[in-house]
Amino acid sequence: MIDAARRSAGPASNTADSPIKRLTTGKRELDEILGGGIPENSINVIMGAPGSGKTTLAEEFVFANANDVKRPVLYLTTLSEPLDKVIRYLQQSGFFDLSKMGGAVQYEALGSELSANGIGALLPRLKSAIKTMSPKIIVIDSFKAIHDLAKSTQEMRLMLHEVAGLFAAYSTTVFLVGEYRHEDIATYPEFAVADGIIELARNASGARDERYLRVFKLRGSSYRQGFHAFEITKNGLQVYPRLVSPVEAASYKRDDNRTPSGVPGLDAMLKGGLWTGSATLLAGPTGAGKTTMGIQFILEGLRRGERCMLVNFQENPTQLGHQMDLIGGALDDDARQRLELLYYSSVELSIDKIVVSIFNALRRSSIRRVVIDALGDLAGAASDSARMHDYLYALVQHFAVMGVSSLLTLETDPPVLASAETHGRLSHMTDNIIFLEIREKEKVVGRTLRIAKARGIAHDLQSRELLIDDRGLRVVETRR
Amino acid sequence: MLELAKLSGKGKAIILAVDRDPHILELEAHFLHQAGYSVGFEKDGNGALEQARKVMPDIIITEILVPTMDGLALCRQLKADPRTRDIAILVFSILAAGDRAREAGADAFLLKPLAEHKLVGTVQQLLEARSARIEKRTHKENAR
Repeated sequence: MIDAARRSAGPASNTADSPIKRLTTGKRELDEILGGGIPENSINVIMGAPGSGKTTLAEEFVFANANDVKRPVLYLTTLSEPLDKVIRYLQQSGFFDLSKMGGAVQYEALGSELSANGIGALLPRLKSAIKTMSPKIIVIDSFKAIHDLAKSTQEMRLMLHEVAGLFAAYSTTVFLVGEYRHEDIATYPEFAVADGIIELARNASGARDERYLRVFKLRGSSYRQGFHAFEITKNGLQVYPRLVSPVEAASYKRDDNRTPSGVPGLDAMLKGGLWTGSATLLAGPTGAGKTTMGIQFILEGLRRGERCMLVNFQENPTQLGHQMDLIGGALDDDARQRLELLYYSSVELSIDKIVVSIFNALRRSSIRRVVIDALGDLAGAASDSARMHDYLYALVQHFAVMGVSSLLTLETDPPVLASAETHGRLSHMTDNIIFLEIREKEKVVGRTLRIAKARGIAHDLQSRELLIDDRGLRVVETRR
Repeated sequence: MLELAKLSGKGKAIILAVDRDPHILELEAHFLHQAGYSVGFEKDGNGALEQARKVMPDIIITEILVPTMDGLALCRQLKADPRTRDIAILVFSILAAGDRAREAGADAFLLKPLAEHKLVGTVQQLLEARSARIEKRTHKENAR
């Protein structure tokens, strides 16, 4: 009977060793941040300023988990917004499902009862809901507003003690939504009983707003720390988990193969080409040939049957495609299918979205070469340089682990990433550094290429002349 | 407890719930009443043992962490006594201690929090198993 009962109760319910069952937030990225989702039967606080996306997050969670009319999701509004208004806006969301309303999703208003009878009305109302509806999820929005009705802190604490006891006794997952501020965490008792705390924040960054989600606490679960960027879309929160270095980074093994650069003469300077999986910083002033070299690097990969990705912030895919056709001739259909062109306007987007999108594209397909043109544009999308360097470092580590050879271009005149510290950090995180320079000699302007660093390669130290023609760049006078 | 004594013999299965948490007792009572059972409460182990001997419930649902005598000790005492060994015992605890409950002689184990379909389903299974066991024994005794 014990075994039978254990089986019927599910393996996660009855043994300490079993993983905690989790409920999806409705978004894979947020589930990843939360270590797999919200732990079942937990009490969670969703906090943030007005307009930060709290209700949207809660509602998305509601509809993602509403699949059983016998165990519905109960959404209780209190004193913050009228129920009709909440439902009116809810219907604009892509995740809204009319067929679930009144069945697997139940919306009810608590405002009148609380106004008439005080905060003491909450406990009997919740007990009654549990006994009559068996809700598997309960959302109270706004829970913070209930504080305004309490006659004293003591009354609120006692009420919350009872409510928390009820939630602990019954199998239900709870969300307390509120416009809490940071200082409330130390003083409001709901933070002490909460198993999980999720904060949504919005910061002004130049002409745009940057939104961040942060998990403060998640009892019994690991979670991804730090600020995760997100956008509010018609389909709810689009979260971009903060990119962190891969766990394998310390022990990864570099591929023993070389990756030809696609620039005639350069591979000879590198004694056969760049190491596969290495990251190369290609630095130089405007007009030195960085973008052209990036395109040649990609075209070489395509010629070899590899999947390649070109990330660009200034030229849209049509313009880029035209440039590639000029250098390499028109690509055939097979090559076009293996080429992923990502174009982002760094004016509009956050670095989080760009970097995470690059990473997701890498995970989707077996890309072997990546060009990011240019790091200066990426820096323009970052509100602080430390964040950009953390992201770049993590991205380069992922490239190495995945065996992706990368070329990162950097504008040096004017120096977009000016400080010596910045250059130092970029130098450390890349395996190879190639400088392209423009020199004037006897009123003749010419281009040169110099390899400043190539890890694990006894490379040519000389500065070599570069020629550009309609086939792209090539190094001349290369010694063998 | 008076309610149990009055109802015993009226055809409804009798359940004794033992827990220190009033919310658990209230919810257990509600869902088990709704499922057609008579329910009585005790908040500690000694009181539960006394009531069990007096009322002879069909099932005892007990938390392990209860005052005066823990739920596992209660289980051992009831299973060691020929008068009370047929009372089915469901250990319903916040401790993930299914193995310890089995060692103590419990017939079933459920981990908190309370999910009514699991609770009522387990109670039904326990009652069926108990009836079959008693019937089998009676049949054997009559055959002699």
